[in-house]
Amino acid sequence: MPSLPMVANLPKGPHYGALAEFATPHELYVACEKVRDAGYTRWDAHTPFPVHGLDRAMGMRRSPMPFIVLGMALIGAAGGFALQYWVHSIEYPLTISGKPTFAWPAYVPITFELGILFGALGAVFGMFGLNQLPMHWHPLFNSSPFEKVTDDRFFISIESWDPKFDAERTRQFLQGLGSRRVELVASE
Amino acid sequence: MSHIPATTLRPEQVTLPARHLLARLPVIGLVLAIAGLGLGLSLRAANPRAFAFAWLNAYLFGLTLALGSMFFILIQHATQAGWSVAVRRIAEAVAGAMPIFAVLFLPVLFGMGDLFPWARPEAANEPLMKWKAPYLNTQFFLVRAAVYFVVWSGLAIYYARASRSQDQGGAGTAPSLSMRRFAPPAILLLAITQTFASIDWAMSLSPTWYSTVFGVYFFAGSFVGFFGLLALLVIPLERGPLHGIVTIEHLHDVGKHLFAFTCFWAYIGFCQFFLIWYGNIPEETAFYQARLHGGWRAVSALLAVGHFIVPFFYLMGRTVKRKPRLLAIGAVWVLLMHLLDIAWIVLPGSHPEGLRIGLLEIAAYLAVIGSFLAAVGWNLRRQALVPVGDPRLRESLAFEIS
Amino acid sequence: MPPSDAVALDNPVDRRPELILRSPTFAAITDAVAEPLEKPTPIGWWFFFLPAVGLLGLLGVAVSWLFWEGIGIWGLNVPVGWAWDITNFVFWVGIGHAGTLISAILFLLRQRWRTSINRAAEAMTIFAVMCALLFPGIHVGRVWVAYWMFPLPNQMGTWPNFRSPLLWDVFAVSVYGTVSALFWYVGLIPDLATMRDRSKTTVRRLVYGLFALGWRGSNRHWQHYESAYLLLAAMSTPLVLSVHSIVSMDFAVSQLPGWHTTIFPPYFVAGAIFSGFAMVITLMVICRTAFKLEHIITLRHFDYMAKVILLTGSMVGYAYGMEFFTAWYSGNPYEMFTFTNRALGPYAWAYWTMVSCNVFFPQVFWFRKARTSIPILFVMSILVNIGMWFERFVIIVTSLHRGFLPSSWGYFTPTIWDVSCLLGSFGLFFTMFCLFVRFVPMVATAEVKTVLPQADPHHVPKGAHAGFGAGQAEA
Repeated sequence: MPSLPMVANLPKGPHYGALAEFATPHELYVACEKVRDAGYTRWDAHTPFPVHGLDRAMGMRRSPMPFIVLGMALIGAAGGFALQYWVHSIEYPLTISGKPTFAWPAYVPITFELGILFGALGAVFGMFGLNQLPMHWHPLFNSSPFEKVTDDRFFISIESWDPKFDAERTRQFLQGLGSRRVELVASE
Repeated sequence: MSHIPATTLRPEQVTLPARHLLARLPVIGLVLAIAGLGLGLSLRAANPRAFAFAWLNAYLFGLTLALGSMFFILIQHATQAGWSVAVRRIAEAVAGAMPIFAVLFLPVLFGMGDLFPWARPEAANEPLMKWKAPYLNTQFFLVRAAVYFVVWSGLAIYYARASRSQDQGGAGTAPSLSMRRFAPPAILLLAITQTFASIDWAMSLSPTWYSTVFGVYFFAGSFVGFFGLLALLVIPLERGPLHGIVTIEHLHDVGKHLFAFTCFWAYIGFCQFFLIWYGNIPEETAFYQARLHGGWRAVSALLAVGHFIVPFFYLMGRTVKRKPRLLAIGAVWVLLMHLLDIAWIVLPGSHPEGLRIGLLEIAAYLAVIGSFLAAVGWNLRRQALVPVGDPRLRESLAFEIS
Repeated sequence: MPPSDAVALDNPVDRRPELILRSPTFAAITDAVAEPLEKPTPIGWWFFFLPAVGLLGLLGVAVSWLFWEGIGIWGLNVPVGWAWDITNFVFWVGIGHAGTLISAILFLLRQRWRTSINRAAEAMTIFAVMCALLFPGIHVGRVWVAYWMFPLPNQMGTWPNFRSPLLWDVFAVSVYGTVSALFWYVGLIPDLATMRDRSKTTVRRLVYGLFALGWRGSNRHWQHYESAYLLLAAMSTPLVLSVHSIVSMDFAVSQLPGWHTTIFPPYFVAGAIFSGFAMVITLMVICRTAFKLEHIITLRHFDYMAKVILLTGSMVGYAYGMEFFTAWYSGNPYEMFTFTNRALGPYAWAYWTMVSCNVFFPQVFWFRKARTSIPILFVMSILVNIGMWFERFVIIVTSLHRGFLPSSWGYFTPTIWDVSCLLGSFGLFFTMFCLFVRFVPMVATAEVKTVLPQADPHHVPKGAHAGFGAGQAEA
């Protein structure tokens, strides 16, 4: 069933998942490697700033953003060039400063600018799309320690529909990774 | 030779083994140089004018690579760059070849009358040449050339020596401090001398033509060419004696520079062309007219596509820059395109009908490039391949692109 | 001198010095940047804001009168058809370029010191571009048909002339404004989330929360985010080069001596960065003291900014030299006249102001003491901007006022409305900037945290921290 745009579309259940809090990037990094190696797939780390190397510690694949941006940039550039060509060679040809009608060097600036514009739009809205933003409500906001995620605390969350998830065992596993506190987050 | 502990490197650990390809460079270079010189001199008698142009063409190709390396070294010191320390000694080896270019300049001197219309006696009657005579006259030309070589060789030798002085330890950070302090004024000096050298040796081939951005254009081409050369020297070392010291990360960064300055060259080259095309003033368009007719038209198109579009897309992705063989192909291509760029600037003077790479041109290439390679190879053999005493070496060895 | 400032002034060759002083924790950074926004408005803010709004009002009056009466209220005449209007346009676009350079180019060059100033610099860019776009917009005369500049199908079957640099400007500056705003906003999202999570009142939480888009610091989000940021930076770099190159082409594609010269594109870009960094220095000198952020925007940051000013000022000086040399070398009497006229003609006063402010005075930045002295930095930054305003004025007006036809030679004198529009544009700029520092975190908090030593996941908390690559090498 299609969900509303700013609301997460999540399966029903008593818990969203388990949330563990850490104090330093180092503790988080080590813990992430262990969670990755334990075979969890539906999990995430949460940090106030991007932590160097964490993508690898989580076993993540590379982002497809570059392809999105390149594609959009080429579309923008081609579109810009086509527009200028059509206007000046087909729709309303004029002799301007004695140059040939198909004055391609003069089309370069706008072609370039439109390429960049579309590429940038691709980057921003592609990123929003891949991140499913805006999403103003999310179960993790139910947790009050989680408010510190944008300040100075680091978290790992393991979602309850991960095949390996078990409320008690996952909770103990996270406790053993050196976290300050582990809680089970409600899904509503 | 695999991973060496990052904290202590001795010069003996990073020297070129005698059987490595690069260790044979001096001999290979010398053979090529002698062959080229012999062939060239024997063909010169029949067509001294073509010889002069062929020699200038090859000379500027080699010189721009050495100048590019000098800029690279100075910028790394001025900005206190960390990543590049592991490859900087290679650049110093290239820059260290600078003194031979003073010697290689002699055929240009002897060919001045063939190369430069303003150097001929008839120029005294031509009003525009008379106007430019305070600058474009043989004596001042020679004085300027001498100044360029003194400055360039001085800088190259100073920086190579200061860097080498740290190898045995004990010099402390003082050489790094003075190399850094001197770098910004040295950059200014290099920029000014290189600009006027490009005006003297390339722009004045068409003495009625002028372009204020020509010095920048010349620099852009030289810098791209240098990164191509750097990649080609670093890649075999990464496979061999410097494995684990120079890493894929460094190669990736060299590849990024190659990409970035390809774009910069295209930007400057296009700006120069575009503004002259748009203004359409005959005095200025003459330069491009000569290069957009006959056989040169195809060369111009090839330059636009091959020196920009092809390397732009080839070097854009991460994968190519992190695979040494693929990066090497890109580097060779870029160097060939730089060769073409110099030929495009110089050779319409001797072959207005189109690009002709004949025996004379090949002989000149062999002579100049051979000497250059011999000098670079000699520099690589006689010192540590990595500035082991540089205080920022550790950072460079640990360098990692995220 | 407090010990922290002494640390800020050292420049070792064998260590990466601390960028942020007083070894703050992550929370301390958050507090330092966010607290001023949560306290009641300080009196000092009103001292800047009210005069700025006053000048903005002046701008409103001047522009309204301009639309009503026409371009004649300015001092434009024949032969000087462009004067303060286009000077102001190029001046403001130029200032904007420093923000993008700091955000994008310094990011690509891995210069971590940019994190203290990039948020404010990017905001400066957006407001500068607003001021810039104002001038070509209002100088067209019949503003009510300004939409003709855009390729909109219409009943007359006409289209803009895409081959004109004036139209390239429309596209370039619009794209630049859009991309800068997008880049700034994307960078802001994590910090808006920080403000949201700290909010004590519902209104603040809702407003910051709305614009934070629900950001929760997820690393899977950070991955796409960082990729987008890198790609935006990689695109903004050629964008910033292209925008000011295209602006320079307004002049360079002509045939006027002093305008038509191939070095204009890179020369204008260097000049733009030169003036933009000066404006950043002006703003940061005031803001760091006003918001007590001297440990985040340190003297070292000013040292680096002053070096960039020295570098780009040298490039501008190089271009002056090349133009001068080539004017002689070309043997073209019109070129030579243009340059001697600049130095010795009726506008010599403008020319020598320009040369003093752009070439002579910045030489003081060869000295470290000058680069780290707040009074010198502040005075120099203003002098540089005066010099760069005059550079555009000299280029535009001296080539126009004495062209090929001596009987048409003239002189341009600004009217009260030219002056009002320029002062008013400063009003627009400072009004926006005051609003920015009042409501939006002016330092990129999340980015600054990444340059603290404890942000490195391989950092050994109690270990010795010395030497390059020590943390990573021991991993």
